[in-house]
Amino acid sequence: MTTDFKGEHLLPGQIGQIFVVLSFGSALLSFLSYYYATTAKDGKNDSWQFLGRIGFFLNSVSVLGIGTCLFYILYQHYFEYHYAWAYTQRSLPVYYLVSGFWNGQEGGFLLWTFWQAVLGNILIWRARSWERPVMTVISLSQVVLATMVLGIDVINVRLGSSPFLLLREAMDLRESAPIFRTNPEMYHNYLSYITDGQGMNPSLQNYWMVIHPPTLFLGLAAVVVPFAYAVAGLWQKKYSEWIKPAIPYTLFAAMVLGTGIIMGSFWAYESLNFGGFWAWDPIENASVFPWLTLVAALHVMIVFKNTGHSYAIAVFLALVSFVLVWYSSFLARSGVLGDTSVHAFTDLGMFWQLVIGILIFLGLAIYMVVSRWKELPRSQKDEDTYSREFWMFVGSVFLALSCLQLIVVTSIPVWNATFGTKIAPPNNEVALYNVFQAAFAILVTLLAGFTQFLKYKKTDPSKILPKVIAYLVLAALIGALIVYVTGVYHLKVVFSLLMIGSVYSVLANGKILVEAFKGKFKLAGSAIAHIGFGLLMVGALISAGTSKVVSENNSGQQFTTEVTKETNPRENILVYRNEPVKMGNYIVNYIGDSISAPNHFYKVLYQELDSSGMITNQFLLKPKVQVNKGAGGFTASPDTRHYLFHDLYTHITMTNSLSVNENVDGSDAHGQEDDDKNYDPPIPHQVSVGDTIRFREGYIVFKGLSNETSVSNLQLGKNDAAIGASLDVASHGKNFQLKPLYIIKNNSVFGIAKKVDEAGLKVTLTRILPSIRKAEIMVYQQPVGKKKFIVMRAIDFPFINFFWAGTIIMVIGFLLSIFRRNKELKAS
Amino acid sequence: MKRKSIFGLVVIAVAIAVIISTYASSSTYSSFSEAKETNSELHIIGHLDKKKELYYDATKDANYFSFFMTDNKGQECKVVFSGTKPEDFERSQQIVLTGRMLNNEFHASKILMKCPSKYTQDKLETTEVSAKKADI
Repeated sequence: MTTDFKGEHLLPGQIGQIFVVLSFGSALLSFLSYYYATTAKDGKNDSWQFLGRIGFFLNSVSVLGIGTCLFYILYQHYFEYHYAWAYTQRSLPVYYLVSGFWNGQEGGFLLWTFWQAVLGNILIWRARSWERPVMTVISLSQVVLATMVLGIDVINVRLGSSPFLLLREAMDLRESAPIFRTNPEMYHNYLSYITDGQGMNPSLQNYWMVIHPPTLFLGLAAVVVPFAYAVAGLWQKKYSEWIKPAIPYTLFAAMVLGTGIIMGSFWAYESLNFGGFWAWDPIENASVFPWLTLVAALHVMIVFKNTGHSYAIAVFLALVSFVLVWYSSFLARSGVLGDTSVHAFTDLGMFWQLVIGILIFLGLAIYMVVSRWKELPRSQKDEDTYSREFWMFVGSVFLALSCLQLIVVTSIPVWNATFGTKIAPPNNEVALYNVFQAAFAILVTLLAGFTQFLKYKKTDPSKILPKVIAYLVLAALIGALIVYVTGVYHLKVVFSLLMIGSVYSVLANGKILVEAFKGKFKLAGSAIAHIGFGLLMVGALISAGTSKVVSENNSGQQFTTEVTKETNPRENILVYRNEPVKMGNYIVNYIGDSISAPNHFYKVLYQELDSSGMITNQFLLKPKVQVNKGAGGFTASPDTRHYLFHDLYTHITMTNSLSVNENVDGSDAHGQEDDDKNYDPPIPHQVSVGDTIRFREGYIVFKGLSNETSVSNLQLGKNDAAIGASLDVASHGKNFQLKPLYIIKNNSVFGIAKKVDEAGLKVTLTRILPSIRKAEIMVYQQPVGKKKFIVMRAIDFPFINFFWAGTIIMVIGFLLSIFRRNKELKAS
Repeated sequence: MKRKSIFGLVVIAVAIAVIISTYASSSTYSSFSEAKETNSELHIIGHLDKKKELYYDATKDANYFSFFMTDNKGQECKVVFSGTKPEDFERSQQIVLTGRMLNNEFHASKILMKCPSKYTQDKLETTEVSAKKADI
């Protein structure tokens, strides 16, 4: 079969497929060997462990091999491979080929399995006595992931989807292009007809798409480590010992996953057009599930380490986090979200395989807990009310509950699929999420502040209560001030309360940070992380809660009904080229375009006005539109003016100055004869030297006639003549010199028109009237509808930098905590 | 154990509240004829009637877009959306509207459309193939 087709490069795919199978086989070998290394009673554990390591190294090498082969195929533009054809094109620069790598679901799995291999190697190096049981679980996870990219038929069931699938295997080419059916010779030669790939979605051609997926997948992959430690602890009946070594990894996973999520949010804010950094889209929610439970797990793990309390919930949360990673992977990849998410997902036919993926780890977790239930460590005595461990426990439970609320609402399509119901998501889903999540966040932020005053075991309430109350009063004052100044009080009251909670968290942890700098440096990590979280909340609250559509526009001519005004603010404003429009405190003007395929940038000049109407500040924004190749349509990306305390965001929602061919040849081609159709019927003007002609966009001054001796592209003979009319055109503060020509050649007469595109103007010299010393100038103007315009939406996001800065501070806090916990681990 | 039991009850209460609130606030997929009888917001699934006019003229009103949609029960209705025409709207295969009926026009507050995405659909563009035919 393979020799049937001309021009295919099958070798890299075959090598790649060998690596795919090898990665599965070696992962299985590693899993079984580590299993026997853990359980064998015949004293051969060491040789099993050796074999397990060999298997895992082989697996790591195969994963690298798969990646190399796939990248080679993408780099060489071998479009006989479906993956290369579906996700890339020749014109993509190399760094976007890298993001083409994880454009498809197979690439996502590869990234996941790659990071898991890296983490596995770190554990082999560092886990010591934990290596055997922990690596059993990790290599089991590698086995399951390997099946996802296997692409092999097992008893009529396709197991996984291989990135090395050929285009002609992925679909029936003869079905798509019937010509191949009738002409076997052409089918044999099919590759010569496939000159380019489908290309990458323009919105993914962004540098954030190069770094966001690897970060997110490292975070998701790292969640396996606490899971593996928890399973290992239960399995080996080392119930309490697993927690201490697992804490640094849990911190790491929470840090990287959190960074990955916010990177995605930043990408959405900078280059998508939904106008914000968070939309409660099911896919965004799904990435947050494991983060919330993991952060909760982290806190109760620390509680258990320090006090011996909250064991069961620590185990539960560590286990459930990884199951949720699989669940969110299922939501994103199975196509189940169909009607509720704006993300376009293909169903690779792996619905049940993904379900089985979840069930394997869920089953393992349940089995471990149930079989060891009676032996789990239980604290003899209840925690004291005034103890840090009790309130950390409460906070963790509320984090988990906020995750529960997200899951219940996001999973509505899953409930429908499971129970055969037809429930639609809530109409105002965003409001529902906001209110619930804010309510949970109030408790979490208050507790993140309050627990800082408490000690483990027992605290004397009389000693701390005055401080607790003093800080609470201070937080309430500052919070109230912020709420008043920013206008958050216009929103539901829960958001104002959350502001107070967030400020409280920042203040109380600020106090700890001050103490940390005075010597208790090990406390710095958690204090900084909590401050970061508090600031993140403050930023999210203000910028999302009080963001204001600047482009509000009630100038619609005929359709303004009161009803639509109420239910949907009219957020789009029409701006003609070179016609400044007042918009809020700004004057905006669409002053030009710049095109570099596939991007079409619109130059939008903003002039900021003060209260007296004087221009205080001006800047240029270049929101862009990317023309989708072939099928038409476009994708808009915003441009944002960043200030320290607010951002001005602008994106194009509609325009008439875009041609479908732009992406292909970079310019629009008009037939010369048809050109007059683009203008209103012309108006003739008979003018003398010095006369002025007015037109809609400015005026023209006739300076005089001149004999032209040379005309470009034209040979003028003895009896021929060319006469030019010198015209000065002034339009919107700009001046242009035009010289339309009147030509007599070979006894025929014709004119050469001149244009000013910016002014929508075309002029011709049609007659010369020597008797009255006048010339006739024909003025063509573009009709209003043909005049170039953009429709845009502009939003002001106040204090959004708190959100980003809070994230960075939180990550720094996590990092410091990792160092601290690692040091503790070494010390013991 | 008493305090933890109380806390456990609180947790269960919150969990139940979450589920009830989700159920209570959830909407139903409905039809135009049902929308006429109620004043509340609904979701309607259907498809664009491509034979009738899509109206959007930014020069007249940048925030008015109207079209005709046929719901899954086959009933057709004029839909008004205050915003710009979503890109590629003509190519949509399925539309999910959120909104309510007013004077026999359905006023949509949200439009979610499913397009045969160029980037996800496995379909060779035959135009590409036939365009190259001349080269043989």
